[in-house]
Amino acid sequence: MVLKNVKSAVVFMFLLFATVNAFAVEEGGATARQVVEKFQADLIAVMKDGKKLGYAGRYEKLKDPVSNSHELTKIARIVVGKEWEKLSEEQQQKLVDVFSRLSIASYAHNFKDYSGESFVFDSEEETTRGGVVVHSHFVVPDDKPVKFDYMLKEKGNSWRIINIIANGVSDLALKRSEYTTILQREGFDALMTKINEKIDNYSKQ
Amino acid sequence: MPMNRPHNGKRSVKMQQTFSGILIGAAIALSGCATTGVVEQPTVANKTDPYENFNRKMFGFNDHVDNYVAEPISNAYKWITPQFMQTGVFNFFNNLKNVNVVINDVLQAKFSQSAEDTGRLAINSTVGLGGLFDVAKHVGLEQNEEDFDQTLAVWGVPQGSYLVLPILGPSTARGIPGAVFDTAANPASYVGMPVQLVSMLNARASAEGALKFIDEAALDPYVFTRESFLQWRNNLATDGKAEASDVDGLDDEALDGDKGVASGQGSSGDVNAGNKAGLALSLDANTKEIRQVSHSFSSVAQSFDNTAKSFEDAGTKVDAFKKSKRLR
Repeated sequence: MVLKNVKSAVVFMFLLFATVNAFAVEEGGATARQVVEKFQADLIAVMKDGKKLGYAGRYEKLKDPVSNSHELTKIARIVVGKEWEKLSEEQQQKLVDVFSRLSIASYAHNFKDYSGESFVFDSEEETTRGGVVVHSHFVVPDDKPVKFDYMLKEKGNSWRIINIIANGVSDLALKRSEYTTILQREGFDALMTKINEKIDNYSKQ
Repeated sequence: MPMNRPHNGKRSVKMQQTFSGILIGAAIALSGCATTGVVEQPTVANKTDPYENFNRKMFGFNDHVDNYVAEPISNAYKWITPQFMQTGVFNFFNNLKNVNVVINDVLQAKFSQSAEDTGRLAINSTVGLGGLFDVAKHVGLEQNEEDFDQTLAVWGVPQGSYLVLPILGPSTARGIPGAVFDTAANPASYVGMPVQLVSMLNARASAEGALKFIDEAALDPYVFTRESFLQWRNNLATDGKAEASDVDGLDDEALDGDKGVASGQGSSGDVNAGNKAGLALSLDANTKEIRQVSHSFSSVAQSFDNTAKSFEDAGTKVDAFKKSKRLR
């Protein structure tokens, strides 16, 4: 009888902890996988309405999903590497603004419309430095799927996307090489001009 | 953050192909984006690209060739040739490439993959009417990307410096012997001029999507091409296993950089890192370039030596393998 009581006490304790844990997860904001899947769902939704919305409509609709799931300030900082420290505060702010606009614009440009595409979650792994990589792939009807790996870091009590690796090509590394090269060769103003040109081109097509 | 990906039905197919290895390869080989107008000046050396100034000039030259010769011819080809024929031509040359894929599967000891790829080659060469139809894809045999450069990577040969070759486009010190072998192992190399010409037209036409993407997305087309080429090759050589840790390192490096600058050691740390990578970065601007060049040449020579050694090693391995078989 005593044994039975102890047993049920232990079970009860477990249940208690389990509930507490469940609450902790809910209060602690979305997990890395949830952040990625929410963003992908938003993206697919915009694609489905893509034609109707037009470029400007897609841009408006994607603004929040992109800003809320991506750590744009940190990304902008990483892509200019050590040059960041050489920029004035005003330039840093300008870079973050322009870079954020470019990120949203390129989504709005590249995800124009819908022909049965979908994202599929594959797996999730923790990296040695406390990040999480969410492996997924983008299914395109009648074609090879594209691998999308999202690298996330914890920010406050939520996770934010910091890099996207499409079929093995890292967006962050690619941009970093480009931006640091332009800063070194041609300077800050040239970089801003070039990014603004890209945003303009995206809005036209 | 923008990503390299598809937009709509028709385009998504194109953009998809952007990622399929062949296309990026071909695209980059024929890469076309303007680099003229950029002021040529010595820049901070990238450790994989010590010949950046030369490479940029070659990139510009290739771009002109593409704009004035390759692109117009390719557009004419696409205009006069119906889509089903273009697909047939693409499939035909792709199928011939599988001879090389199978050889390299074996050299990398990917035996089950080599069986699949042999099956792919056999099905497409017979049922697929000499490779014109990609029947194997419909029975679930996907095209694998293997070549001799990847085999050398698997054998441990270092990549060496990034090089832009005239007409042929981006490559590396290791990629050159790789490409020689690939050409030798491709049946299309042994036929006459008309076939070769169609093969080139096919390569340029298939690269269209990728070239367009570079045009749209690149701020500095030269750097964009170099980085995506090197990352794509690395991803192929490691069969996609390298990415996560690399990116983590990148992030970490950036954060370290911040700390370094805060303590006033940022730039000197950079120079040390360069030295470690075997690149002499002298602070004296006059001797800098010369020293880099001489170092890079010796590293190219080293790559060749390593290649030769890898061959010997492979020979020993095959012998050992034979022996162990005999014992059994």
